[in-house]
Amino acid sequence: MKILSKTGNELVMLAMKTEAASKGDYLIIEDEKAKRKMVVQIYDEEYLSSQSLIEDIVKDEVVTASSTENLHDPLNISNLSKMIRDARVFRAKIRAAIDPSNKLSSDVSWLPSRVDSSVGRLKISELDLLIQRRRLFPIPIGKAGVDNEDFEIYAEDLDGKLNIITGKKESGKSHLSKILVKTLVQYGAFVIVFDLNNEYGGLAWNNDGSPSSIQEQVMVLEPGNALKFSLDYCGKAAMSNMLKNALDMPAASLREFFRIWDWLENKQMLEIRALGNAINTSNINELVRDALISRYHVIQSSRLFLDNGNADGLSFEKVISEKYKGTAIIISMGKATPVVRRMIVELVLSKIVDLLEKVMIPPIFIFAEEAHLYIRDTYWEDIVTRMRHFGIYTTFITNQPDAIGDGIYRQVDNIFLFNFTSDTDLDKISRVSLADTETIRSIVKTLPQRHCLSIGKVVCDLPIVVKIAAAEVLTLGETKKFFTRNNNR
Amino acid sequence: MIAQLDLQTCGINLNEVEYVFERSLSQCLSSKLKDALKGKKIMFTRDEKNLFPVQGWGVRTSPYCMTPITTIQPIVDNTTVSASDSSTIQIAETEEGSLYAVKSGIAISIGGNTLMHFKIGPILFYLSEQTIRNSEIDHRLAKVVLVDSDIAKRMIRMRVERAIQMKLCKHLDKSIILIDGSLKSSLFEDNNQNIKNIAENCSLQQNSIIGISKNTRFKILDKISFPLTKIHCPAYLEVDLIIKSLVRNTIGDNLMVKFGNNNSPLLRADVVTPNYNKDESLGKLLGNDSIAEGYPETLRLAHHISTFTSTEVSCLKGHVLSNYDVTELAPEDIRKTLLGSIPV
Repeated sequence: MKILSKTGNELVMLAMKTEAASKGDYLIIEDEKAKRKMVVQIYDEEYLSSQSLIEDIVKDEVVTASSTENLHDPLNISNLSKMIRDARVFRAKIRAAIDPSNKLSSDVSWLPSRVDSSVGRLKISELDLLIQRRRLFPIPIGKAGVDNEDFEIYAEDLDGKLNIITGKKESGKSHLSKILVKTLVQYGAFVIVFDLNNEYGGLAWNNDGSPSSIQEQVMVLEPGNALKFSLDYCGKAAMSNMLKNALDMPAASLREFFRIWDWLENKQMLEIRALGNAINTSNINELVRDALISRYHVIQSSRLFLDNGNADGLSFEKVISEKYKGTAIIISMGKATPVVRRMIVELVLSKIVDLLEKVMIPPIFIFAEEAHLYIRDTYWEDIVTRMRHFGIYTTFITNQPDAIGDGIYRQVDNIFLFNFTSDTDLDKISRVSLADTETIRSIVKTLPQRHCLSIGKVVCDLPIVVKIAAAEVLTLGETKKFFTRNNNR
Repeated sequence: MIAQLDLQTCGINLNEVEYVFERSLSQCLSSKLKDALKGKKIMFTRDEKNLFPVQGWGVRTSPYCMTPITTIQPIVDNTTVSASDSSTIQIAETEEGSLYAVKSGIAISIGGNTLMHFKIGPILFYLSEQTIRNSEIDHRLAKVVLVDSDIAKRMIRMRVERAIQMKLCKHLDKSIILIDGSLKSSLFEDNNQNIKNIAENCSLQQNSIIGISKNTRFKILDKISFPLTKIHCPAYLEVDLIIKSLVRNTIGDNLMVKFGNNNSPLLRADVVTPNYNKDESLGKLLGNDSIAEGYPETLRLAHHISTFTSTEVSCLKGHVLSNYDVTELAPEDIRKTLLGSIPV
């Protein structure tokens, strides 16, 4: 490879067909005379093209199409000519320089020699050494680089961070998030997953049907079954949030509701049936009563609350203390209605924040699939600013990058970008992402399935294309189809 | 005004200069252009190229206009039509000589379809005093070739083409051999492989040889062939008298030919046939080669495959640099250096 030109922080390099490299690969340019090195990343690849070359190709095609060719070429010039026609131009972004002490530096203001520079490929392991990307809790997520080396990110780089996994449908987002959840749990982390398609339950099982290494640590909670709270456990704050934000209860009705709540609490009768009776019999305005009754029916039909006050409901602190080696609490919302989803999220987040404030539980990782469907707009900022300080570290998984506001993107620490073909989505992502527009637009558009561009702290701000490893856990949540083998007659 | 004053102080009178110019060209430089050009048909020239008016120069009384026009009838009989062409370029110079590359193409068609083509080369030739000394080239020609690269290129091209034509005429029989250019003996030819030998071999093998020139230096030919433009089918006009009076060493019958219909271009063709039946040879050419835009397709193909592409030239330079242990020197365009970057 040879350097052709440099514009801004972009280098253009000439390569022969045999010098294979892919978009996203890192190259090291060593100026032997100046004794300096530069790290660049290929973001685009095209043919070396000139008008005369195109004319040659067209002419050759026309000639060979019209008659059979017999060649006598003692100097083998035609082969050289074919090599030139197949020559390519790599466009690369300058990412860093390497100082004499072999450490990465940001001094990229110098120009490597076109004559004396040698261009070589940089392995991911070599890049890791340069950026000293090594910590205690590796998460192997797949393979990367020219030699398909094993690639791992580190749990420490997800800790206390805001992450986004995005890409078009079936590009491999959930696949990566399952790997992250599984490994975090293996390292003893506590993870809550808002599972919209009931697919994370598969984390308990391997592909071959055998129990997975975290089977004992996976808890699948479904509304009406394991996901049931006692009113007493939820408390006034969580209930208030739920009624206000998920059920749109007006302030006046809310006041009446808590007057009834206090009365029941004093009488130690705080349970669903008693709440219903109290709403029906208490002396309140009829319009308020109607409002309370309609909310009560939604609460009752959600099956999120225990009917019997003496029974044990879900208690996060209890689960965490029992499964002290880490747990994945999968909240299955696949069958829940949109209102119930919102109720669940309000209750869970309010309760978790409450517990974290009281330092009753350790920090929690939250994985939220298509969160825009169940988290209200005003909650987003709360999640990325306030809740982060309490110890809620969120990973959003979405196929609609425009559903996440610019404010969130600006706070984000890590982005895992899967394939996007839509220009609108690419525009959105490239505008707010941590990497430059050209890299995003060119690399992401051509990413194959299950390949992602990792950007942010996990890769020390050097974007890396990763081929996500094959799933070890059972794949659930696939779309039910009509034209299956059983239906073929 | 300042310029005039300056010139006057130098003692130069511009009006006198004009008179000197006129005298230097023996009064040909007419100062009365208006009178000289009045009513004339004019065609502007471009890059010294030989151009021809689209509609011809028009009818003008010429004694040759009385020459009869013969129409050509296509004869389809699976006669092989072969065509060859070649091109030469100068690749590099050394202190002692020059390096040239030659490329040739042969195209063969039968029954109106191009069957195959042969691409030969590029092949490198190095002409220096030493290499020429060891060759059989006439020493006077050798001296010219060493000082004039254009002549060297012509010589290489001519010899390579004649070698191919000799091979074709010995190898084929009862076929048509097309050559790009006129059938004319040249100083550059090898004694054993000259056009006369080729024509002789063609007669022995009953091949016809047709040299087709896309343009001619003789303006009179354009003018007298005007009646051909009015014919709507393939036809020819004999121009033996004119050609033989202007050029000494041509062979065969000299014709102006139109191979296509209507507005096809008029081409000069020299024809050597085994049985002196040029009508038959031209008919076989029309019947067994495809004629597009009034030009034989085999000859067009031979031309295309024998021309150098810019990629090939780059590759040749790369080949020379990497295989022959040479050191590349940076070239300097003296003309550009002296005259500046304004296109001249």
